[in-house]
Amino acid sequence: MDRETRDMLLETADRFFTERSGRAIVNDVEKGVWPADLWKEIEEMGLPLIAVPEDKGGAGGTLADMLALLRTAGSHAVPVPLAETALANLLIAAAGGEPKAGPVTLALGNLTLSGGRLSGTVERVPFASVAERFVIVVGNTLAVVAAANVKVEGKPSHAGEPYGTVTFENATAEFTAPSPASADRAFELAAVMRAMQMAGAADKVLATATEYCKQRVQFGRPISTFQAIQHMLAELASYVAATIASAEAAARDADEGGLSDGGRFSIAAAKCQASDFAQRIAAISHQSMGAMGFTHEHILHHYTRRLWVWRRDFGSETYWGAKIGAAYAKAGPDVLWASLTASKYAA
Amino acid sequence: MSIPKLEFPPFHLPPEAEALRVEVRGFLKEVLPKVKSEDRFASWNTFSPDFSKALGKKGWIGITWPKKYGGSERSFLDRYVITEELLGNSAPAGAHWVADRQSGPLLLRFGSEEQRQAILPRITKGECYFSIGMSEPDSGSDLASVRTRAEPVPGGFRVNGTKVWTSGAHRNNYCIALVRTSGQHGDRHKGLSQLLVDLKTPGVTIRPIINLAGRHDWNEVTFSDAFIPESCLIGNEGDGWLQVTSELAFERSGPERFMQNFYILRELVRVLGRQPAKRASSILGRLVARLWTLRQMSVAVAGMMQGGKSPAIEAALVKDLGTIYQQDLPEIARAIAESDTTTEEDLADFLDVAQYATMMAPSYTIQGGTTQVLRGIVARGLGLR
Repeated sequence: MDRETRDMLLETADRFFTERSGRAIVNDVEKGVWPADLWKEIEEMGLPLIAVPEDKGGAGGTLADMLALLRTAGSHAVPVPLAETALANLLIAAAGGEPKAGPVTLALGNLTLSGGRLSGTVERVPFASVAERFVIVVGNTLAVVAAANVKVEGKPSHAGEPYGTVTFENATAEFTAPSPASADRAFELAAVMRAMQMAGAADKVLATATEYCKQRVQFGRPISTFQAIQHMLAELASYVAATIASAEAAARDADEGGLSDGGRFSIAAAKCQASDFAQRIAAISHQSMGAMGFTHEHILHHYTRRLWVWRRDFGSETYWGAKIGAAYAKAGPDVLWASLTASKYAA
Repeated sequence: MSIPKLEFPPFHLPPEAEALRVEVRGFLKEVLPKVKSEDRFASWNTFSPDFSKALGKKGWIGITWPKKYGGSERSFLDRYVITEELLGNSAPAGAHWVADRQSGPLLLRFGSEEQRQAILPRITKGECYFSIGMSEPDSGSDLASVRTRAEPVPGGFRVNGTKVWTSGAHRNNYCIALVRTSGQHGDRHKGLSQLLVDLKTPGVTIRPIINLAGRHDWNEVTFSDAFIPESCLIGNEGDGWLQVTSELAFERSGPERFMQNFYILRELVRVLGRQPAKRASSILGRLVARLWTLRQMSVAVAGMMQGGKSPAIEAALVKDLGTIYQQDLPEIARAIAESDTTTEEDLADFLDVAQYATMMAPSYTIQGGTTQVLRGIVARGLGLR
């Protein structure tokens, strides 16, 4: 997708999410209501197929196009598995399969695959209770399993999204094929996907807190005129900036380096960074908005709760930090700088 | 919502800059072991004329400047790579640092042809060093309140006043002093000018100000009826404020804002050994990820500047985050080193290094614009003031 087409798509998506995926829908999802109309419209726009080739009915976008769209979706807390489905469809198409309609999610964990049948349990699968299909990668094989063939125990995330534990008991796959993205790689792609959603959410948190402080009058003046508040929001902006910059750099590196192993270190660093600063972003924004931002009525928690959930999804700062730290320790002090400038685990 | 969007478009340093990196690394590997340095862990405040001259010989000081002044007319991004390689390899780059980074570009922009010809080629050779004469006892962050007075007299100015925190004045050649050439103390931005001061000028007295780590970097520079010739006025009389603010904006977001104590991270990797426990690995990895992020941000800002934009807010954010990272680094590092290093001797050595870094750390969020000044800039950018 050329730059202009992408920008146009992002603008259209941004407008669409503003109009159709507002506060009421996010709150309904928390009550267990599946927003069927919203999902239908998202499919009609072709968004879940953004990174699927045109000859398979997709928009022919790249991984980078998809990630840019998911950053936009993150800034609206879109409460459907657009990210999971878009990545799942990309993986299915890359393995030679034909993506179908309907919400799909990723069950990435310790599963075994034998004779086209899957076994094992994956916890905290996003949108497990509403997904029609599950995409799994075991070793270098991709499998698609219909919801009817698995057992889902619903356990909503702390952001109120329908996460759950998925158990595969000798479950029949409707499709299996060699995958250019290995199991580890699928996990990395899911991590950069979340990092970009976090960048979108972080951006929205900054905008929300800034606007609020400009409106809120106390002691006879907008609280944004107090230096204490100004410095808090400036500090908040620095953490938001770090989240955006690292996620964008990882998205670029993941795309440029190719589906099977592009930007491996950058993804690790970006998800580590986004997860690391999520709490600071949440803490400062809540402090700046006082009791108002702590209510269920306000939208701030749609974003801060997602940041708290997403920082755990597909590897926390501790998980990715340990990966990076172990690799850098193993490589030793003399190649530290060379590795860092090359964005590699070891130069 | 109407707040400006923060953007850090990912940027690749161009192939010629990456090729230069390889060259610089090769040079440092060969030269650094031979250079006499006063510090084990050198940085941009470690003074070594030998090293600066060697670097100058390679053409790597003032690399972006016109050839007629000794430069190579290479890009700002080539300079970026040299800067980060000097820091990443702990080179003692302090002698020429300010001249290359700040004073030379200022002279190039506002100086007279005579000044440029007399000074710039010497800077590029690594033999002419500069101090910054901005702060005064009563003027820190509020620079417009300077009191040092340059009274116009036949042929030049008679200067009286005091500059403080003047790094390297005891061994540098020149200082660029911000002085009041007309008007009163309360006139703020009006009536200020910049003078090129030879630090050997009669009437200029230099006394050490020792910092808390016991180092003599700073000085107090006193002017007592010092005569500065008219030819040493930089730019126009009365334009000092405009000139000085553009000087402050030079690369606020450069690697020196997050890599001044990079050696701590490297030494931490050394003491943790090749297979640290998971907790230590994880904390180390988070430190690496933060530094990587800062570098991505800084490179993105460099890319925007190269593309003709002036991302002032983004640059201020890099300095804010970067200087605080440098303060966190020794603290986090000593905690995991103490819990996860097995050899007592290595640990004691590392803790000494970390202690030194901790003592230097307060300076990071003060020099070149305090955290609070930076946050004011960002707040303005967010439309809060």
